[in-house]
This record gives sequence, C-alpha cells and structure tokens, in this order.
Amino acid sequence: MPDCTVVVITYNDAARLRRAVRSVLRQTLRDLEVIVADDASTDETSEVVAELRRADPRVRYLRREVNSGGCGAPRNDALDLAAAPYVMFLDSDDELPRHACKSLLTEIERTGADFVSGQISRLYEWNGRLERYYPRLFARRRVVEGIRAEPELFLDSFSTNKLFDVGFLRRNELRFPENLHYEDHVFTTAVYCAAERFAVVPWVVYHWRRASGANSISLSIKEMSNVRHRLEAAAISDRILREHGFADLVPDRQHRFLLQDLRVYLNPMPSRDAVWVKEFASIVRPYLEGVAPEVLDRIDPMLRVCCHLILADRIEDLQVAARSLNGPQAPPRSAVRHAGRTYWGTTVSPGLDITGLHLAELPYSASRLRHEITEITEITAAGSRVRLTVRTYDPFGVLGSFDAFLRCGSLRVAIDPQPVGEGGYLSEITIDLAKAGPKADPRIGFTRPDGHTTTDRLLVDPAMKPITVRGDGRQVTVRAEGPAAFLRVTSRWTGFRSHLPLLAKARRRVLKQVSTPAMKLRAYKALIRVLPPRRDLALFEADCGKGYTGSPRAVYEEVRRRGLPLTAVWSVARGRANFPADAGLVRRGSWRYIWTMARAGIWVDSHGFPLDYPKPPGTRYLQTWHGQGIKSVGFDAPDLRADFAKPRETWRAAVDRWDALVCPSTEFSRIFVPSNGYTGPLLRYGTPRCDALVRGQTPQGVRERLEIPEDRKVLLYAPTYRDQAKSSGKSVRVDLALLAEELGEEWVLVLRTHPVERFRVPQEVRHFVRPAGSYPEINDLMLISDALLTDYSSVMCDYAVTGRPMLFFIDDWDDYRLAERGVYHDLREIAPGPCVTTTAELVARVRDLPAVHRSFAAKYARFRRMWCHEERGNASARVVDDFFEVAR
Amino acid sequence: MSPSLVFACLDADTLGGIQQVTHTLAQGLAERGYDVHVIGLHRATDPFAYVARPRYRHHVINRGPMGSENRLTRKLADRRLRAIFDSIGPGYAVLTSPGVVTRLAGLLPERISPIGQYHGSYEHARGSWHLGSIRRHYGGLDQAVFLSDDDAWLFSEHALLPNTWSLPNPLACWPDTISSLAKPRVLGVGRLEGVKRFDRLITAFARSGVPGWELHLIGDGVELERLRAHAYREGIKGQVVFRGRVPSAEMAAEYLDASVVGLSSEHEGLPLVLAEAAAHGVPSVAFDVSGGVRSIAGALVPPGDVNGFAGALAELMRSHEERRRVGAAARSRVEALRLDSVLDRWESLFAHLRR
Repeated sequence: MPDCTVVVITYNDAARLRRAVRSVLRQTLRDLEVIVADDASTDETSEVVAELRRADPRVRYLRREVNSGGCGAPRNDALDLAAAPYVMFLDSDDELPRHACKSLLTEIERTGADFVSGQISRLYEWNGRLERYYPRLFARRRVVEGIRAEPELFLDSFSTNKLFDVGFLRRNELRFPENLHYEDHVFTTAVYCAAERFAVVPWVVYHWRRASGANSISLSIKEMSNVRHRLEAAAISDRILREHGFADLVPDRQHRFLLQDLRVYLNPMPSRDAVWVKEFASIVRPYLEGVAPEVLDRIDPMLRVCCHLILADRIEDLQVAARSLNGPQAPPRSAVRHAGRTYWGTTVSPGLDITGLHLAELPYSASRLRHEITEITEITAAGSRVRLTVRTYDPFGVLGSFDAFLRCGSLRVAIDPQPVGEGGYLSEITIDLAKAGPKADPRIGFTRPDGHTTTDRLLVDPAMKPITVRGDGRQVTVRAEGPAAFLRVTSRWTGFRSHLPLLAKARRRVLKQVSTPAMKLRAYKALIRVLPPRRDLALFEADCGKGYTGSPRAVYEEVRRRGLPLTAVWSVARGRANFPADAGLVRRGSWRYIWTMARAGIWVDSHGFPLDYPKPPGTRYLQTWHGQGIKSVGFDAPDLRADFAKPRETWRAAVDRWDALVCPSTEFSRIFVPSNGYTGPLLRYGTPRCDALVRGQTPQGVRERLEIPEDRKVLLYAPTYRDQAKSSGKSVRVDLALLAEELGEEWVLVLRTHPVERFRVPQEVRHFVRPAGSYPEINDLMLISDALLTDYSSVMCDYAVTGRPMLFFIDDWDDYRLAERGVYHDLREIAPGPCVTTTAELVARVRDLPAVHRSFAAKYARFRRMWCHEERGNASARVVDDFFEVAR
Repeated sequence: MSPSLVFACLDADTLGGIQQVTHTLAQGLAERGYDVHVIGLHRATDPFAYVARPRYRHHVINRGPMGSENRLTRKLADRRLRAIFDSIGPGYAVLTSPGVVTRLAGLLPERISPIGQYHGSYEHARGSWHLGSIRRHYGGLDQAVFLSDDDAWLFSEHALLPNTWSLPNPLACWPDTISSLAKPRVLGVGRLEGVKRFDRLITAFARSGVPGWELHLIGDGVELERLRAHAYREGIKGQVVFRGRVPSAEMAAEYLDASVVGLSSEHEGLPLVLAEAAAHGVPSVAFDVSGGVRSIAGALVPPGDVNGFAGALAELMRSHEERRRVGAAARSRVEALRLDSVLDRWESLFAHLRR
C-alpha cells in the first residue's frame, strides 16, 4: 500500500499533464501512487499517460467515458479508487513542489489531524515569480481545533493545497459536488464542518501556475455562468454551514465571499461594459441582500461602497467606484461631507460612508485628485507626440490657485486646467513621448503658491489600444496598466542604440570586477602607505553619509564660523541632499571617497567610517558619537554578542582609530567608554549637536514644510529600531489609527523612524501622521515639537535639554530589556515622563499632559542632571578649541 | 550493502564543536558498517585528532586554510570533490553548515542525497546571514537537520522549510560515576568571549548570596581581564577562580568536582557543557536561549534575567537534596544523547529519506 495517493485531474491538457505528473513522480516521497483522472479527453492524453506508465509503474489511469464538464466527478472517481491512507489533489496545469507530499504526510502522522493545509503559491510563468496566497493565514504552524477556532480560514477554500486522511473523507461521505464549478468551495466548507482538528503548515505545498497572456481565468470570469456558479457555491456553502450546526459562522463565510469572490469580479470591472455590469449586479444582488450588515461593516470602505452600489443597482457609479480598489486607489469623483462624516458620491447615504479613509482631511501635498483621460490621440503629423484630454475631479475642494503640470519621468509640461462643472477641471495636454523617461507613470501635479505640490496618476480607458511612437532613437509605448487602468509609459532603444543596455551591462560587469570592496580596500591601504595625509583637509560624515546633521554638522559650522583654513569635504550617501554649498561632496563608498579618506588629515564622524579601513598614519579622528542612553552599546550590543569573533575584532580595530571622543556626561563615560573598550582622550564639553537645543530657537518654515496646521500641537514620535527586525516597520508600535481618532483634533504626529527602519504611513492615518523618517535635521523636529514620544531611543537624552514633556511607549520593555537588545538602566525608574504600554493609556496621558509633566518635575530634573549636565550651548566651540585650534 | 555517507565541513580538523560531533558520528556510523567519508574543504592550521583509529576515510580538499580560495584553487577543488563523489556508492551527504551547503550542494551527483545540518540555534541564525542562507538553500536539500524540535519548528515557520528534522548531537562518552554534589562549587565552562556572557554568571553568582561557595570558570579568551575586573566590582574577587584552559581528558574530573553548572550565554545551539554536566549528574541553570538549551537544561531562566538566574542558582546551592533531584533528572534526560541512541536516530532519518 502506498503512503499517499495523488489525484491528477485532466481534460484535453496533454502537454501540461506530463509536467504535472512528473512533479509528483519527482517527489521526495517515493512510496506514492498517481491516479490520472481523465475527464474523457479527446487529445493525445491517453498516449501521454501510457508513456508515463511505461516509465513509472506508480502511475494509474482512470478514464471517464463521457465528459463531466467539471472537476468534481473525476476527483470523486479517483477518490473511490485511492489505495493509500492519504490523498492529495492536483490539477493538470499546476505542479507540486518536491517536498509537498512527504512534508504533509509527516505532519499528518505527527498531529493525527483530519487534514493538513499548506501554503499555496501562484507561479507567474512569464517572469517565474512566486506569490504566496494570504501568507498570514499560513504564517504559524499549528493544529486548529475545528474551523470555529479560526473562521478566517474560510479564505483557504482550495482542495489542492491539502493532504486528506482518506478514512476521514470516507467516514464523513465527503465528496465533491458535480455539475458545479467552484466545487472546491463547497467541498472545503463541508470538510471544515466535519473536521474536528486540522493542521496548517507555513511552507509552500502547491504551485498554482498562471500562464501568460489571455489565460483561461480572465476569460472565464467574464462569463455570466462563471458568476452564477460562484454565487451558487457560496449559497450552498452557507447552507451546509447552517445544516451542520455552524450557522454562527455564516457571517465569516460571507466575509470571505466579499473579500475574495466578489473582488475577483470587481477588480476587472473598469474594463467591463455597462450591460455586463448590470447583469452581474443582478446576479450578485440577491446574495448580498442576505449578507449580515455587520459583515459589511467589517470590510474596507471602498469595497463596502461597491456592495451598496450593487444593492442599489447604480451601475455607472459602481464602475466609477470599482476603479478605486486597485492601482493608485483613486479618490471618488465627488464626495459629500455632512455632520463630520464623508460620503462617496453626491448624496448622504449611510452605506456610502467613507469617513474611515480620511481622504477629506489630508494635508495638501498628500491630498487626492482623480484624473480621468477622456481622450487620448496620437498626433501623427507631429511624430512622437500625443494629445490628452484630462478631466480632473477635486472631490474635497483642495484646489485654489495653482500652477499645474504633467510630469512623465524627466519630462515636465506646464498645463492649464480650465474649471468645468463643480470642482472639476479640464486640461488639454500635448506631450512629446520621445522626451519622456525610460519608464514612468505620468502624473499631474498642482503646485500651490506656498510651494506645496500634490500629484496623482492618470486613469485611462482600460480598453485603450497601446500607442507606440518612435523618435529620438527610441520606441515609446503608452498603455493602460493594471485592472484600475492608469497610464503608463515604457520605452526601449531602437536601431544601433538598442545595444546600449548590453554595452552598459558589459561596462557594469567590468566595473564590478574592478570596483569590488576588496579592491577598494587594497587600493586604499596602498595609498596610505605612500601618501602623507594633508593636515588642512577634513572629511566630515554624519550617520554614514545619510545627512548633514548631528554633531559633525555643529562642529563643521563652528569651523566655518571661525574661518579656519581647512578644506572640508562631506560624505554623502546615495540619494541624499541638503548638504552645504561651501564644502566638497563625495559619495560614500566611491573611489573619490576612498581617496579623500586616504588624504584627509582630519576625520570627523558620528557613527564610524567604514570599519575595516585603517586610519592613515598621522590622521586625527574625532568621534562625536550620535547618542547616549539606556540601550546597550559596543561589545554589549547584540550584533557584537553573536558567536562570531570577526565583528568584535573589526570593531575593536575601528575604535582604536579614534583620537578623541566627545563625552557628553559622566554617565556616558561610565557606560559607553568601557563598553567600547575606548581608552583615548575624552572631550567633556557637552554635545555639539545639542547646542541648537540649548539655544532653543524655533527654526523657521519647518511647520509649514511639514504642513502642520497652526492650531495643532506637535507630538514627535521617535521610536528606536529593533535589532531583529530592521527595515520591517515593526518599531512603530503605537496604534496610529486609534491615536489619530483620539488626538487628531488637537495634535499632529510627526513620525521620525530610525534611519535603519522603513515604514510606510498608511493612507488612512496620513491626515494625522507626518512621515519625517528622512527629514534631514532632527533638531528641527525637536524644536518645533510640543512633546516627545519615544521608547528606548537615545533621542530622550537630547530632548531633555529642551525641558519639554516626554512620554514613553514601552509595551515590549521586558523583551527589549532582556532579550532583544539589553539596557543599562531601568527606564521605568529614571524616565522623566510616564511610561505606558497601551495606546489608550497613552491617549489619557497626552490629554492630561501639562499636569502629568508637572508631576514628573523632580524626575525630569534628575534625568537632566544625569545626561545633560554639561550642555551649556557652547560644546561646538569648545570641541573646536580643543581638537582643531590646538593642532594648528 | 549499507549506503555511503559523506560528512563535509569547511574545516574538519580544527578544535571545535561541529568537528567533534562530526568525527564522533562518522566513527559511530562507520562501526555500524557504513562507508563513511569525512571531507574538510580547508586544511586546519592547527589540526586536532579526534579519533585515534578512524574507521572512516578522511579527505582534505584545499591545501590552504579558510579564506584563501581563488578561482583556480576553487576549480581544482571542484575536480577533487567530484572525483571523491564518483568513487563512492549511493548514499547521503551531510553538509554541516550553511557555507558548506552553498559550496557543495551543486556538486553532488544525484545518487547522493544532500542533508543540510545547522549547528546553531534559530535565535543565532536570525541575528546573522545564516537565516537568509538557510531560507534560500536548505529547502532545496533532501532534509534540513536542526539540533532540537523547537529549532526545527522555528525554521519551518520563519525560513518556510518543508523538510526540517531534528537530531541532537551525541555525547562522546557516558560516565559511570556521577558527582557527589558535595563541594560548594559552581562551574562555568567556555571560551571567555562576549557571547558567553560570563559577566552575567558572575553577577548572578554574586547575587545568589549563599556563603562559602566558589565560582570556577574554565576556559580562556580575550575577556579575561574584563571579567576579572567585573568580579572585583561585584565584590567577589576571592570567590571567582579563573582556571584557564583544561584538557578535555580532565573535564570529567571537573564535572565530578562541581555541584552546579551555570550557562549564561547569549547564544547556544545544543551546549555540550550542559549535556556533559547532566551526564555527570550535575544540575544546571541556563538562560532559555534556544530549543537546544530547553531540551537539556535543568533550570531555565528567561534570557538576560540575571536576578532570576541568581535565584535559580541559590535554590540549588542551598539544598543538597534539590541538587540530587535535579541532577538525577538531568542525567536521565540526556540518556537520549548517548551515542547509540543518537546513531539510531540517524538511521531512522535515513529510513525517512528512503520512504
């Protein structure tokens, strides 16, 4: 008896069948059988199977005399014949990854579950990309004690990504419905009802292959019969739930329907015609009418709007609304505000409430306009030019006086939108495509007199025929992109220049071999052996070149103020700006940078010049460091505590390069200095970068630049990163939506994420949150803020200089303190403000901030004595006296 | 005929945990009749003979030490490796680290089934390039073997590996006598390196507050002076004894002289110290830093919780009865690590691969 039966159903798909069966025969589980269930194919399927059987006796063949027209019947036939205790189902156009059978078999044997479900992955054949289906459903490996424990799993309604216990299926008489597409949906619903426990595994067990071009799916979902089958499957599924005592889960099954099944048809809706949409709506409406209102409340506002438009039979509006679901998620054409709520369209209707998107409250530069191209034509006489007529909708009335333009890559054309109708504009635009960038989504922008600009992409008729023009040695194409159909321009070189990319590639390859980091280091080491450093050349770097900021900036400005005879060069990371005009700039890591490092007699930085680069003999290195605080540092920090000796050796050598270290407090000398094994001289004059904070002058134009309304207070939120989750966005732990709802009337949150962190502010809180992760100068943010919210960041010690209120959101304190990072102080003991662990608690403290802040006066004073005792506003001057003047 | 077995290390003969385990397993499986080959990709600068009379073949591929490979030597090495693989029958290749997996997986002929091994914990992999490398390469092997069930589980979740398996490292020998647990001595064993966090053991020992006890630290390393200073600051300079390196032959005597073992590391895979201590009936206290530690430690303390560690130490230090109880339980738990049971588990892995 084999361990596992794999049923492969097929109908007139001989070529791909071979691939599917081979993927089973190649499984790491060898003791299996394959049953090819042929639904009466008329092509060469039987020959292919015969060939497969000759090569491998594990293949069995089962052929129906008459085509059943579905997947259910052949699967049932094969299920009856399955010889193994476990079964899997595979479609002839898909494949099983190598370990699928064995890994699921091992799991079902280990857990004794009724079935095991694994991650399903779409494989896009045209680019080989794999995309996992709802990875969060499969993220944890677990045993689920019945579907009631996790009704969200209705989203997983495939029969193909599962290994079933055949006895379980037979005992419960679980079979696929015949004469129905989406038999999977009905079958899995019945399976979920019957299973007392099932297992879920996080790895991929099924490759769902999507062929390129006009594939079967996009054609079939256009058929009304397809819609009917899907609706029927949903209705039967709901009925099964009710009949088996799971009536309470019907809303969850319906939720799945809205999220998944309905979406399948709504996504391509912009390219359907009104007749189709009307018929579609009439088929779906009866089911939607039976959907519980609380289910509609659970879904996204725009999806809910679409549901209500189907219910109200508003066909044209439905087509307009469906365009907001994908791509640029365009705003509505019009909206109404009433009693603090925002409604989609022109009437106040509870079902069309989109307040939750907060589109009406956005700052100007983030505000949304809808641009629809009503006409696009190629001007044949003029070569490579096209003319667009664009209708712009301003549903929230943000436009007043403006300069408008269309931008397409490097091309920018001024445009002149003319008011039409209510809140609308019409523009006639001509662009020369040959001058557009290599690949770009054209955007229309409106610049206000104060300099702020808002831009949005252009929607176009999905049925638009791509326009291709030639000019300037290139072939440029404009077309509609994605289901929401926005305008996209792509181009490629023609003629002799079409070889340019190849040449560029070859050049890059050569450069890559010569310009390796190892080669640079070798060249550098040779340079510093022969070239003496120039005493009057100073290389400055802050935050590894990411900005003109921090103590190096303060020191640099002092050097310039005194007019010291130094040539100064700043290191600039790729893509960073705002560096001083009176200094030389070198890109960090470039050959010029290597050269400057070798030649500079003075190095000033706040983090560390490339760690494996020795200092040239004779060069003096001022290390300013970039913060002090409670976090473990140096050899106590996690990156140097791993079981590798090399990083520690590298850091030890890097620290040995320092000739002077800015030491802002006795606490710093107690902790930081020994933790890094530094033994050189300390400059105990305070922190250069904090001089600006001591002076306390509010910088001009910062609030305007961040678009903070005059009546709002500013809460600066600056969480530090998590060592195990850099670039993940996980350091932003406060519930921004709740905070926005509770404090949005009075406050604006300026979000300063750590430089190693990446976080995208969700659109629905953008009205309250100003992303400032890459704002060049954090001192500015501190100076315009009314309070600081942080967790464990060293920014707290700088901020204490201002004397303003601080709050600490430390919901992961124990984890951070013990495992994640390690700390030197008990923050709850020394914190100069309240430490909270929930957003609700945070809201309460912010509402009562003045009193809370007063109650922390003594602790605040103690905190300042501990960390800011030396800060007198003249640190830069004294550091320059000590490090630069003496040396002269 | 028994299948062939290849164990491949970056460097098979340097003194270290992976190497010791590899040679122990190689010898054990050779004695069970397998045709075993141990391959070191690089020559050890300071080779160590783990097995006096090996029953397996031993190959060193590169004459140079690690990191000296260039394009030419790599080509020559490929040729030598292919020649070795061609000369042996069907079987399994155990690739003992992520570096070996990326180097060798592509060179193995079809009849030799690749097994990737990882000797660190999931927590350790997560903090380095290992996790990414394991995610990319181990799923394509026939099996990915980790040190404990917990580790295998975590890798299946976070590296999405479908082919995880767990096999503990074996104890090279099983003592007949156990410690009397009478000497007032806490033992710490390991290189004096940052990762071992002996500073925390020293602090915890100081805070345990049981008079008359000594803390003996066996091992050497760059942190010696820092740790000495740390003991001085903690006010227990006289009670902490830095013993330096002790030859492995004399370690049994050290365990027999100890009453408690403390393991304060930031990272551990399946720490041999805990296993050996347990085999000698010595109870231990450890930070709960990995599945491997969880599978053998006596008392577990949340990572980094030094006061908790001190409390757990104190409990054992105060009561001979408790030490005996915990020590006996530990000894029976590590029975599973006796060479014969571990070899049995390797053979059931081979059976699983044949399914």
